[in-house]
Amino acid sequence: MPKQKLNPLPSAAFQILLALAGEDLHGYGIMRQVAEQTGGCMRLGPGTLYSSIQTLLEAKLIEETDAREDAKLGNERRRYYRLTSAGRKLARSEAERLARLLRVARSKRILRGEYV
Amino acid sequence: MSEKIYVWLLRLYPSRFREAYGEDALQLFRDRAREEEGFLLRLRLWFDLLSDLALSVPREYFHVQPRLASLSAHLRPDGVPSFCVLAKESLGPGALLFGGVLSVAALVTFSVLLNHGVRHVPLSALIRPTQRSAGARSSPFDSSAPPTANNTGQETIGSKPPEQPEIAATSSRPNHGAATKPRVNTKLDATERRRVIDAATAILEKDYFDHHNAKKMAAALRAHEKNGDDDAVTDGRAFAALLTPQMREVSPDRHLTLDYSEAPLAQHPIGPTPEDLAGYRKAMKNQNCTFEGVAILPHSIGYLKLNSFPDVSLCRATAAAAMDSLNHTEAVIFDLRDNRGGEPAMVSFLAAYLFDHPEYLYNPRENTTEESWTHSPVPGNKLADKPAYVLTSSRTFSGAEQFCYDLKMLKRATLVGETTGGGAHSGVWHRIDDHFGMGIPETKAINPYSKTDWAEIGVEPDVKVKAAYALEAAKELALAQLRKK
Repeated sequence: MPKQKLNPLPSAAFQILLALAGEDLHGYGIMRQVAEQTGGCMRLGPGTLYSSIQTLLEAKLIEETDAREDAKLGNERRRYYRLTSAGRKLARSEAERLARLLRVARSKRILRGEYV
Repeated sequence: MSEKIYVWLLRLYPSRFREAYGEDALQLFRDRAREEEGFLLRLRLWFDLLSDLALSVPREYFHVQPRLASLSAHLRPDGVPSFCVLAKESLGPGALLFGGVLSVAALVTFSVLLNHGVRHVPLSALIRPTQRSAGARSSPFDSSAPPTANNTGQETIGSKPPEQPEIAATSSRPNHGAATKPRVNTKLDATERRRVIDAATAILEKDYFDHHNAKKMAAALRAHEKNGDDDAVTDGRAFAALLTPQMREVSPDRHLTLDYSEAPLAQHPIGPTPEDLAGYRKAMKNQNCTFEGVAILPHSIGYLKLNSFPDVSLCRATAAAAMDSLNHTEAVIFDLRDNRGGEPAMVSFLAAYLFDHPEYLYNPRENTTEESWTHSPVPGNKLADKPAYVLTSSRTFSGAEQFCYDLKMLKRATLVGETTGGGAHSGVWHRIDDHFGMGIPETKAINPYSKTDWAEIGVEPDVKVKAAYALEAAKELALAQLRKK
């Protein structure tokens, strides 16, 4: 089932993998990181966020670490999530796929740009 | 306040999602609500939450299905049916009550259906044959006989003597359905017997001409079944032979029969095929329309031997020629000793020569119509006032008996010979199933002469002599009559 849900990889799931590539984060941290890396375009709501997290957990692309408090957000204990090596690998292959797409788009002169 | 609303909205998610991430989702809401203050930010927050809800709630429910499928597939690797509980929460009293009521309803429905199945009457048994009555009076090919080869003595007015196979082959009975494979010899059980009895009583009550007796006969069948009188019988033929007298106990009607056929009965009564008609025509032509002999005996006594009453449309000319040749005789003898019946129309056609005015001819098989009257007088005919004699034997049957009976009752002919066969009522054939069927009389014509006709008892001759001596006796009677003049 997780395989079906992740093939093709939904953009929310990919964004979560990318968000967790830097550091372990809790749910709200992931949401903020995703908003930041998409320039505020993608603000994951709780339903989409936790549903994606559940799917990624089941596919063992991320894992839960010990719950702990986030000093900046009060004394509530939060579940933190960490990228697994499989998750990192998948994120990389997805990024490469997008890069290939980008090169094609550039070669077709659909997209102009110096980087990537 | 906002948090309460969001808690309420969270209930829209499936319970397993709420249990796993409900607290986290609420926490995320609180974090955002704390950090995103101000009207526009709050507006954006609620927009995000509601659009997220709209997308993720259906998705969460939708994904239950693949989960179900994979789970059930996992639990049943060997195809053994099993139950599994997918919901994690315990069953509430409402669910238990609903399940209980549903189970009881299913159980009751099943048992009711099971009982009704036993009383099931096949629809085909209630469907009346379609092609009877129309033209039945003038057609020898009626639908009143079982459409199989092994008829069990269901003689009709249209039937023919067995020693005339070419005619018999075209008469009302034979004609198999397409299916002629022999019956698989299955024993009748109580259910089967009940089914046949139910169908038979339904047909009786619906179509038997005497509704009062029909009810009594149906009751008798049911009573015998209830008393266990039928229990010992497991053979179809024996069962049919048992039921027929059970019905006749109430009303001694010889044409009321319940028949069993080894060969499957055709679905619908089969009319004559073009081949049958062609065969009948050929037989009539070869046999001079069964007018075996026409002669003028000494003392100008006319003699006509007729072995059936054939189709008027085919044999009108032959019949008219025979009668014309006897037109100048002083007396006429009709020899019906080998006549097994036939067309009422021919009975009427020949009888017409014996009257100078239209005369009512009683025919037990048909309701009284305009055709019940002879077309007398016949132009140019001189036989209307001449003495007439009819020779009979125990083989004289059905339509021939009509001729005898009516002329006797009208005191128009003297019957010489033996008591006739006694075939009067003609049953209309009703198929019950592949092997059982019933012949029942559906009409009762007005009999102006007597309460009884010749059914069962035959027609008594006026002068009783052995059939072999009947001609001699008739000649003497005719001569004696002529000498009186």
